[in-house]
Amino acid sequence: MDEPLNTTTPSFDALYRECARDLYAYVRTLLGDDASAEDVTALAFERAYRRRCTFDSERGSRRGWLFGIARNAALDELRRRRRAAPLIGDLADELAPDPDEQADLAVRRTTVRAALAALPARERELVALKFHGGLSNAELAVVLGTSETNAATRVHRAVTKLRKACHAPA
Amino acid sequence: MRQRDPLTVEEARELDALDRALLGDPVDADLRELEDLVCDIRATAPEMSPGFAARLEHQAQEGFPDSQEQPAQRRQRRRLLVLLPAAGTLAAVLVALVVVLGNAGDDEMTTFADKSAVPRESETSGAASGAAAKPEAAPLPQDSARMQAAPPPSASASGSASTADPATAPAPSVVPRAATPGGSVAPADRARKVQRSADLALSVPMDKLDSTTDGVIRTVDRFGGIVASSAIGSDDDTGEASFDLRIPTGRLDDALAALSKLGHVAERRQSLVDITGSFTSAEDRLSDARAERRGLLKALGKATTQQQIGSLRAQLRIVRGQIARLNGDLESLRRRADLSRVSVTVRGDGSKADQDTGGAGRWSPGDAARDAVRVLEVIAGVALIALAVAVPLALLAGLVALGVRSGRRRRREGALDPA
Repeated sequence: MDEPLNTTTPSFDALYRECARDLYAYVRTLLGDDASAEDVTALAFERAYRRRCTFDSERGSRRGWLFGIARNAALDELRRRRRAAPLIGDLADELAPDPDEQADLAVRRTTVRAALAALPARERELVALKFHGGLSNAELAVVLGTSETNAATRVHRAVTKLRKACHAPA
Repeated sequence: MRQRDPLTVEEARELDALDRALLGDPVDADLRELEDLVCDIRATAPEMSPGFAARLEHQAQEGFPDSQEQPAQRRQRRRLLVLLPAAGTLAAVLVALVVVLGNAGDDEMTTFADKSAVPRESETSGAASGAAAKPEAAPLPQDSARMQAAPPPSASASGSASTADPATAPAPSVVPRAATPGGSVAPADRARKVQRSADLALSVPMDKLDSTTDGVIRTVDRFGGIVASSAIGSDDDTGEASFDLRIPTGRLDDALAALSKLGHVAERRQSLVDITGSFTSAEDRLSDARAERRGLLKALGKATTQQQIGSLRAQLRIVRGQIARLNGDLESLRRRADLSRVSVTVRGDGSKADQDTGGAGRWSPGDAARDAVRVLEVIAGVALIALAVAVPLALLAGLVALGVRSGRRRRREGALDPA
């Protein structure tokens, strides 16, 4: 279990360094645009820093706690915009293959990006939490407010859809 | 969230392989595809721009100062979170104090320690209301008879006046009306006559019996009353003094208050009897008798024979006797209305203040202990009542908070649904 965050600031600094990039990737995936993702990521760290004394290690990991705060901030942002965010903000740019990638790899990643974009918002979020955030199923359950079994089932369903979409003929 | 069936073995194996792939551990050959998937998805992960990464790093070094949210709103929210429970607690304590003080308000501090022995105001009123059943409060038999026999002349015209505003009555309590045949009642309030009486039992330490009885006499003098009779008796351990007092009715309340301060009030009762009917009836009969006397005197002046004169004189004697008796009755009724009967009993008990304290009237450690227990009892009572108010309030607030939280969560989750 993680050490409490209410003792020293360095422990929060360590959490920040460990999670900042993953958290941004998750938020950016959820919101679909850079500007909002940057605002929400900064806001999530602000809130987490302010509430660091309220972290309870018995209720989950620090990482899960931080992602939960970021999720709430991101969902509030989505509510403000009152529209479902696409997983990939600028599909034209992001679906385009990286010139440095080898041809096979480029094709495969384009397919993966397209498959991700085709997923419903809830499943895209799950994939982002699982693959970008690196959360365990138990941590996912805490963030989503559900049981671990339910979280695992939903992850499996999203991954299965993703695999099928990747193998589907173009 | 929708619950699903538990994972199958194959699903669990695939999830396990996914977790291993995410951790960089090797997976079974038939699930290598998951390794590629992890690799590809991670490769598509959005990256921070260098500018934002630098800004965030700067914020981290600054300790994430407030920049995104309105600090004023947050302060207001935090203040509300502190103030609401505080206001609830304060309200609960205030309610408890009102209840406790409301209960104790009618009693003086001296009676507070032994409230069970002192009848409450309602009980006093009850005694007064039911005075007809009590010997000391019941109208005199002759009054009843007169009231029954002679309804006041204005009774039929003042039927509604009989229920006049009690605020104009001489006593605060409900005054029993003297009912007359045919439902007629006493005349208007301005002619109202009420007989009041009170019984007071005081308990004092034996060594204070004499000073207390002196105090009773002084109090009676101060309020312009008289001591109709008194008796004092004592032995080694106990003593008792009883007084039959007459106090001017207008000063009865003040006198009772002063008498009650002379010792511990063990019992106090008051009663009221409306004697208006008796008074009016006696007045009417007196008026009739006087009119009859005038008629007889006129007839006497016109009488011509000795027989007529003798007969008229005999009738005049009878009428004069009636007038004298009725005058006496009226005077007696006036005295009963103007002077209230107060029966005071002072009992000296065995507990001697001197033995406990070493001096009369001193405050002993025993008194202090009793007072401390009493204070603790009151505090416990206040706390209990406050709890009775606060617990439902807290439950309600908890339910509201749960509802708000659940609603907010649902609205947030709704943001992921298609528009």
